[in-house]
Amino acid sequence: MSYLLLTLLLLPLVGSGLLFFWKNASSKYIALAFALAQMFLAFYMLGSFDFNPTVDAPLQYEITYPWSSYIKSSLNFGIDGMSMLMVLLTNILVPLIVLSSYNESKGYPNSFYALILLMQFGLLGVFTSLDGLLFYIFWEITLIPIWLIAGIWGQEDKRIKFTTKFFVYTFVGSLFMLIGLIYVYNHAASFALTDLYNANLNINEQNVIFWFIFFAFAVKLPVFPFHTWQPDTYTYSPTQGSMLLSGIMLKMAVYGVLRYLLPITPLAIGGISGEIVIILSVIGIIYGALIAMISTDSKRLIAFSSLSHVGLIVAGIFASAVVTMRTGLTFEGGQGAMIQSFAHGINVVGLFYCADILYKRFKTRDIRKMGGLAKVAPKFAILFMIILLGATGVPLTNGFIGEFILLKSVYTYNHLMAVLAGLTIILCAAYMLRFYGKAMFGKGDDSVLATTKDVSNVEFTVLASLSVFVIVLGVYPQPVIEMVTSSVSFIYSSMIN
Amino acid sequence: MGVLIVLFLTAILVLFSGVFEKGKYARYIGIAGLIVGLYVSFLPECEFFAQYRSMYEYGDNAQLFTKISIVATSLLFFLGGFAFSNHRSHQSELYALMLFALCGGVVLFGFQNLVTLFLGIEILSIPLYVMAGANKTDLRSTEASMKYFLMGAFATGFLLFGVALVYGSAGSFDLYTIHDFAINNPKNLMLIMGAILMLCALAFKVSLAPFHMWSPDVYQGSPSLITAFMASVVKIAGFFALFKLMTIAFNGIAGDWINILGVFIILTLLLANVMGLVQTNAKRMLAYSSVSHAGYIALIFFGINNFSTYILGYYLFAYSLATVGVFISLLWVEKIKKETSFTAFNGLGKREPVLAVVSTVSMLSMAGIPLTAGFIGKLGIFNQAIGGHYEFLVLIAVLGSALSIAYYLRLIIAMFFYKEDNFNTTEKASITYNIVSVVIILALVSMGIVPDLFAKIFGL
Repeated sequence: MSYLLLTLLLLPLVGSGLLFFWKNASSKYIALAFALAQMFLAFYMLGSFDFNPTVDAPLQYEITYPWSSYIKSSLNFGIDGMSMLMVLLTNILVPLIVLSSYNESKGYPNSFYALILLMQFGLLGVFTSLDGLLFYIFWEITLIPIWLIAGIWGQEDKRIKFTTKFFVYTFVGSLFMLIGLIYVYNHAASFALTDLYNANLNINEQNVIFWFIFFAFAVKLPVFPFHTWQPDTYTYSPTQGSMLLSGIMLKMAVYGVLRYLLPITPLAIGGISGEIVIILSVIGIIYGALIAMISTDSKRLIAFSSLSHVGLIVAGIFASAVVTMRTGLTFEGGQGAMIQSFAHGINVVGLFYCADILYKRFKTRDIRKMGGLAKVAPKFAILFMIILLGATGVPLTNGFIGEFILLKSVYTYNHLMAVLAGLTIILCAAYMLRFYGKAMFGKGDDSVLATTKDVSNVEFTVLASLSVFVIVLGVYPQPVIEMVTSSVSFIYSSMIN
Repeated sequence: MGVLIVLFLTAILVLFSGVFEKGKYARYIGIAGLIVGLYVSFLPECEFFAQYRSMYEYGDNAQLFTKISIVATSLLFFLGGFAFSNHRSHQSELYALMLFALCGGVVLFGFQNLVTLFLGIEILSIPLYVMAGANKTDLRSTEASMKYFLMGAFATGFLLFGVALVYGSAGSFDLYTIHDFAINNPKNLMLIMGAILMLCALAFKVSLAPFHMWSPDVYQGSPSLITAFMASVVKIAGFFALFKLMTIAFNGIAGDWINILGVFIILTLLLANVMGLVQTNAKRMLAYSSVSHAGYIALIFFGINNFSTYILGYYLFAYSLATVGVFISLLWVEKIKKETSFTAFNGLGKREPVLAVVSTVSMLSMAGIPLTAGFIGKLGIFNQAIGGHYEFLVLIAVLGSALSIAYYLRLIIAMFFYKEDNFNTTEKASITYNIVSVVIILALVSMGIVPDLFAKIFGL
């Protein structure tokens, strides 16, 4: 029984409950206090985290508590390298997301922050649960707060249509996952992770179950034909909603693919299903990048760029999995996916915040109507550039190492696919620089620029914190790689057994 | 049997209380009686009643379902306050009729005999025909009453014909004698016909498609509190009767009726959910939602195992709580605005947060979102059907759920996302409403977090 992990899980829930009833102006400070406490707790846990655990005890801070007598599922939480990285990501980003909203006056601020903390609770539950049903429950818990955030504080009237679409899409995906998990449960006789791994499904069953479970992840990631909710929802959510969705919530699916899909349905992945997923994600990479090239709406551009980057993550995971099933253990795809997830979280949150800052200055999301901001806002120009380079994956930024490992993994699977997937980096450079060029240089509207100020303290703090992560992880990614290696290799090797 | 007597006496008392003070105390007498009834339902059955065991037995399952339906009825009684304020002079009669209908339900929970089954169904239904028409000045209400009565009469016809055929073949009304006969004569055509006719009759009562046509109109026309009663208590009673009848008496010939039931389920889930999507009236939407839930609940007949009765009880209780939960805000909006279209709910989240939250939680529970009781219920039912290799039906159910979430969201969106308009009164919902709301939220959420709580509370 680890009280540390229990505190980590319950603290945001307590904060959220408190904030729902805290109807006064200081609710934002309370929210930040909880988020920061949570961040320090995560770093404290990192301090006592064992980076090279023994094979028989890879999980740390484990909690087990019986839950129900007639559903064979237990409250089982624990942390290994993958979980630790995702817990860190969540707890680093949530304080920044809370902070990023400080300059805005929102209606019902207490509910807004309460929902963000509730979301954090759900996310941490997803990343630490070691039980299929528990995973599903937390997976669904995250949906409600983000839906309310997007729906109530969204930007335009269209938000209602798009948030409904988002909810229905993800809910349907999740239901299919539930059916898949129940099917496996019926063979494994328990929802415990190890039992699910050893469910002994034959190849036909695995092929079906694979698509059932993958559907939920594919919607949330999103993988190419399941993405139609994503650009609209990212665009019309409030900035904090987009940050939560793309920065953290998307990673639930990456995590889920590694933790649940690979070990439960290895035969399906070794067969045709795995190949189909790789092809879909490569299509997504190119499709997303091409749409981003012609997007003029800043948030839409980031949304499609995210689609493209996520495609590479998925392609990398499955390329390694397919190679593992056919010729022997390679787990670098999973490694790259986790590292890239962390980096992508930092970068995309930064990009959305930059888009938000631009929106506040120019009162438009149309990048063709922006221009010349670099002259009057030099600090912003530098920070924006750093984050943008991180997103593009320039060497010595955090985006590089992950993309490199992922591309290498796709290369071992198929050279042509690697060439196509590699387009993401080239195209990304093209559209990101176009975005930056339009917004920051060129001739802007002088009347707007005359009254425009450089970043405020709050904005500076958020962007500078993110930039620090971009550079530090770019120069020295070793700790992150070490953190995930043992757990990722465990997952890929359990595919072969 | 003790419960039955308590409830019956309460009903009589409530009925006669109308003589004094225009039935002002009817509700309180009813609540007191229900609480006594609930207490009695936990006691073991008195030995004196053992002699009636061939007709009615208050066994474990009967106990569970009696408790559930008494709880659901009590919640409605607590809400009764202004729900009936339009017809003040008839309050006591309506409360009494509700209690009589509940008695019918309790008879159904313990039936051992097709005669008791028939009696139970009629005692349950006849008060409902009257209650559906309680808004005497409203044409819709009259129409509802008429429609319900005619359809109910048809269903009774089916039922009686079925009973006659079964009696003709098995030579007995007794459930277990029929059970033995069915096992020994699985090819007896008359018995099979009887079983199918009875299935259809009860499908009318629980509104499984294609016998659901009456329900949207009846649900919409009846006074809202009565609609809530139909959607909760009547559904509990109807389903348990169906479950007991089909799984005990006709278990031996399950192969002959289960496919028909499967077709009913598929029709129900698709029709009801698609129709639910196009509604513009919240009450009508809830009627279709209720029909679709009949489809989910009927999955209980597929892949039956030792837990089936427990899951059925769990699902029905969760569903009844959720139904009452949604109807709380519906009752309130109907009172203020005299209508129940979706737009009437705009801005309720700001005006009456507690009522809006209870409706939201209830609808999330109906949709089967985790941390609510409805999720555990759905999980149980899906798990059982998948265990019995009826994956196809579960897929249809998932499709139905996917459609259903869209119309539940519409109401939630109206309450929280749209700005308040024309609430032309400053009246706040009464404290009872808020208390019942909080109780329902707590019950739904705690049953969702601690699934075993249900078993502990109801003493299983």
